[in-house]
Amino acid sequence: MQSPTRAAAAGPPPAPRRRRNPATWVRRGGLSTLVFLLPLLLVFGAFSWAPIAQAVVMSFQRTNLVGPAEFVGLDNFAHVLSDPLLWTALENTLWFALPALLFGYPLPLVAAVLISEVRERRGLFSALAYLPVVVPPVVAVLLWKFFYDASPTGVFNTVLGWVGLGPWQWLQDPGSAMPALVLEATWAAAGGTVIIYLAALAGVPADLYEAAEIDGSGIWRKVWHVTLPRLRGVLITTFILQVIGTAQVFLEPFLFTGGGPANSTTTLLLLIYDYAFANSLGGDYGAATALSTMLAAALALFSVAYFRLTKSWSTS
Amino acid sequence: MSRGLISPSEWATPTTRRVLRGAQALLLGGLLLAGLGPVLWLAKAAVTPTQDTLRTPLSVFPNGLDLANLATAWTRVEIDEHFSNTVALAAGSWLVQLVVATTAGYALAVLRPRYGGLVTGVVLGTLFVPSIVLLVPLYLTVVDTGMINTFWAVWLPSGAGAFNVVLVQRFFAGLPREVFEAARVDGAGPFRIFWSVVLPLSRPIIGVVSVFAVVAGWKDFLWPLLVLPDPAVQPLSVRLPALQRYVELDVFLAALAISTVIPVALFLVFQRLFLRGGALEGAVKG
Amino acid sequence: MKFTAATPAPAGGVRRRVAAAALVLPLALSACGSDGRDEVGADGKVLLRVAVDAGLEKGAVEAFDARVAQFEAANPDVDVESQEYTWTAASFTAQLAGGTIPDVFTVPFTDGRGLIERRQVADIGDQISELPYAGALNPNVAKAGQAADGRQWAVPIAAYGQALHYNRTLFAQAGLDPDRPPTTWAEVRSAAKRIAERTGQAGYAQMTSGNTGGWVLTTLDYAFGGRIEKIDGDRAEATVDTPELAEVLTTLRAMRWEDDSMGANFLYDWAGINQDFAAGRIGMYVSGGGNYGNLVTQNGLKPEDYGVAALPLADTPEAGVLGGGTLAVVSPKVGDRGKDAAVEWIDFYYMGKLTDQGAAVADAKTLAETGQPVGAPALPVLDRATYDRAREWTREYVNVPLAQMTPYTSKMFDQPLLTEPTRSTQDVYKILDRTVQALLTDPAVDVPGLLAEADAEVQARIDRG
Repeated sequence: MQSPTRAAAAGPPPAPRRRRNPATWVRRGGLSTLVFLLPLLLVFGAFSWAPIAQAVVMSFQRTNLVGPAEFVGLDNFAHVLSDPLLWTALENTLWFALPALLFGYPLPLVAAVLISEVRERRGLFSALAYLPVVVPPVVAVLLWKFFYDASPTGVFNTVLGWVGLGPWQWLQDPGSAMPALVLEATWAAAGGTVIIYLAALAGVPADLYEAAEIDGSGIWRKVWHVTLPRLRGVLITTFILQVIGTAQVFLEPFLFTGGGPANSTTTLLLLIYDYAFANSLGGDYGAATALSTMLAAALALFSVAYFRLTKSWSTS
Repeated sequence: MSRGLISPSEWATPTTRRVLRGAQALLLGGLLLAGLGPVLWLAKAAVTPTQDTLRTPLSVFPNGLDLANLATAWTRVEIDEHFSNTVALAAGSWLVQLVVATTAGYALAVLRPRYGGLVTGVVLGTLFVPSIVLLVPLYLTVVDTGMINTFWAVWLPSGAGAFNVVLVQRFFAGLPREVFEAARVDGAGPFRIFWSVVLPLSRPIIGVVSVFAVVAGWKDFLWPLLVLPDPAVQPLSVRLPALQRYVELDVFLAALAISTVIPVALFLVFQRLFLRGGALEGAVKG
Repeated sequence: MKFTAATPAPAGGVRRRVAAAALVLPLALSACGSDGRDEVGADGKVLLRVAVDAGLEKGAVEAFDARVAQFEAANPDVDVESQEYTWTAASFTAQLAGGTIPDVFTVPFTDGRGLIERRQVADIGDQISELPYAGALNPNVAKAGQAADGRQWAVPIAAYGQALHYNRTLFAQAGLDPDRPPTTWAEVRSAAKRIAERTGQAGYAQMTSGNTGGWVLTTLDYAFGGRIEKIDGDRAEATVDTPELAEVLTTLRAMRWEDDSMGANFLYDWAGINQDFAAGRIGMYVSGGGNYGNLVTQNGLKPEDYGVAALPLADTPEAGVLGGGTLAVVSPKVGDRGKDAAVEWIDFYYMGKLTDQGAAVADAKTLAETGQPVGAPALPVLDRATYDRAREWTREYVNVPLAQMTPYTSKMFDQPLLTEPTRSTQDVYKILDRTVQALLTDPAVDVPGLLAEADAEVQARIDRG
């Protein structure tokens, strides 16, 4: 590399003064850096940034995709905010996200710690944990939909019958439909999280543990002072990703219940989908994109606040 | 064998060992039930007549097997064709994602251009944009570029996944910079360093990204449904919910089972490479 | 409504923003109804992409290709290309915008009026008016393909009325006479109760999701003498909160919560309920009278199980049967030559089965040979005489259990046929989905409250247009 000054810097690179001269820029590796960034810039540009910009524009428009689009100011936003379904969907999404996080975040961590201490057949544990992730998600939902059959001869109800319970209504009751969705979603996703944690746990250097032991630390102290701090980066990332992921839950309500019974599983994303596609005569793309941009903004704000907060933790 | 959190002396303590072993046994039981149970049930149901599956879903073959289900599913449902579509879609997406994530991760975490913060910011920003926002505009983009009914319509957009970029970038940032230093002193340029130093070091993260890429390849069904209207190029994920409408339950479950068996079989091979082979842990330490 | 009034903005500003949008968006899909373009090949033939059902058996595909060849021979200036296509509401608009819709395709009656209003199908009124049977269309059926001004934009190619399908085997097991299905809703209720008690299966089940809940609830409302919307000139009024619909809901609630005779699935859509009925898990359900074909070919129904009866109607002159059907429409993207060719194709391929002996026989023969049902009940698209004549031509190929269908076929022509609500049909159905789901899954739900809420929502939806 031709710029030893920059490479030597440990922290973020100090901004070079001025680079007026393109030749200098190329010599310092600016061009090769750009070449490495090119795939990202092209793919994100065409398939992420441009469509996002377009979605924002569309949120101020009314269009049926056939005639020309017409600007309608904030109408779409006003329409969405005055839709009583919005608040139902928001509530439902929280009812999905909170339990999903409650199970989907710490449970895999505990499992990963336990698995990482398995001496023999560790592969078996990880393989079993990961197996549901390998089942194609659409298959999983279609299969669980059958498991959730609410008649006494349904799969889960048969099992419940053995222990004298049930039959439960599962998806057929506004009260239990969402928990049923959370159960399947957790089943389907937890293994992936376990694998991430396992990889991170393996990255904790053994000598750190040894050093802690020399200081007389027990197991819990080691977990608290060595394992968790070493995992912090991964934990912070997976948490925010899970929040964002669960806020966008779609496949489960779409295939399981279509938002029913009685809108009890209509999530925000399903509502967006409904705005855009449920009406066969051309959806309300304006309302759909307006709600999408609002959701995106809310998640972005949350994430910024979250990273601010976690940053102050890390520096402490 | 490497050691982890628990030291050998702690393992020697009877209470610790008992508690740990107990917890692990419990975990194994739970994993067997939850991980393996549904899959085994599906395997059973695939060769059980419809009426048995409906009336006594948990009895094992009360009225014998119906192996014809599998053949019917294979021929009528054309699992083979849709499966190879799925594989092609997943493989292409995997490649695109890997190229984008590793090159970008390298540029942002190792080369660190001045505008890197800005790029990272706009990439991260897309994480917060619900994918459904993109659905309509992205669809129009795909239509405008004539990619409809081609695999490119799935491959290229899949590369725009910020998750992979972030994961790889974080991993690269955690690599010891002395290694790059040394390579640089030896006269290696950025491409050389990327190819011979960074990539070999990043096997664990490439493994993780690959797993995610392949899993995501199975996962998406709304997008391929929109951009691949021709059933001949549709993956299983799109075809199966449609099939449910006009296939009898036993054949449908057989189709589900076949769609599951192949990835599970692949996983068992791949698991030896990635999970048990210690690629994840081994390379990190290396 | 607040949100329909455009936020005032300086005119210049609006124009500028629209111009900017035209630059930003590749939305410039200029293909409005009026200015479609023909695709003409080097040989001077106009290209016509016609829809063919997805997932057909080999024999049926061959028969279709043979029809295409015949058509091309008779119309040497047209190049027909077939494209697998199944109408799905969700992707229609995007596909239309993306130009991946065939030039000729079919849509359910439910969506006809809306597509026409939004100019999302081509105006083929002139071409239709030249068809020999243009004046002979069954007026009740023709309406589904007309614009508000009465101009015919789409050709109805099939029509049906809702009917009560029942499982003869379950009837027999429950000690009921399979040849005497219920003729009143009180009888439906008692039969359902008996079936549930004696067989453990759902006595009566009902669709509730994917807008089918509203569709069937509307059917029942009509059968009890109600209407969902009342049109008065330009104004449409929601008439959901009525004694008729209250009676429907009360009946359903009693069947669900007092008799427990409606089974355990309250999230059925059309495909799901057909599947469970064919699997013998449902005693009775309401759906289109021609459903037999789907039940047999797609869901493996045992023909001996099948029975269909006329929908029981309340004893009031207002009571009637909700009708439906299929329209052949033309994409707004084709030009004049394409439109001419498209209507030729509709006449040749779809209507030929009803009006031309050769075509009718060939079609029935292919269907019979590929194991598809021939002779399932349908309502006349044209006049009754044409209908009876076509039935006569194909008599020898009939392979459905006609005798088991007489409880329906003996009454279907006499029942008054009613059209679906015309304003925001799918949205209204969606609102009613929720109503019926709430009724069937929540024991504490209160019927008047449910109706008042649905009425308000429907009215709001209609007002938004």
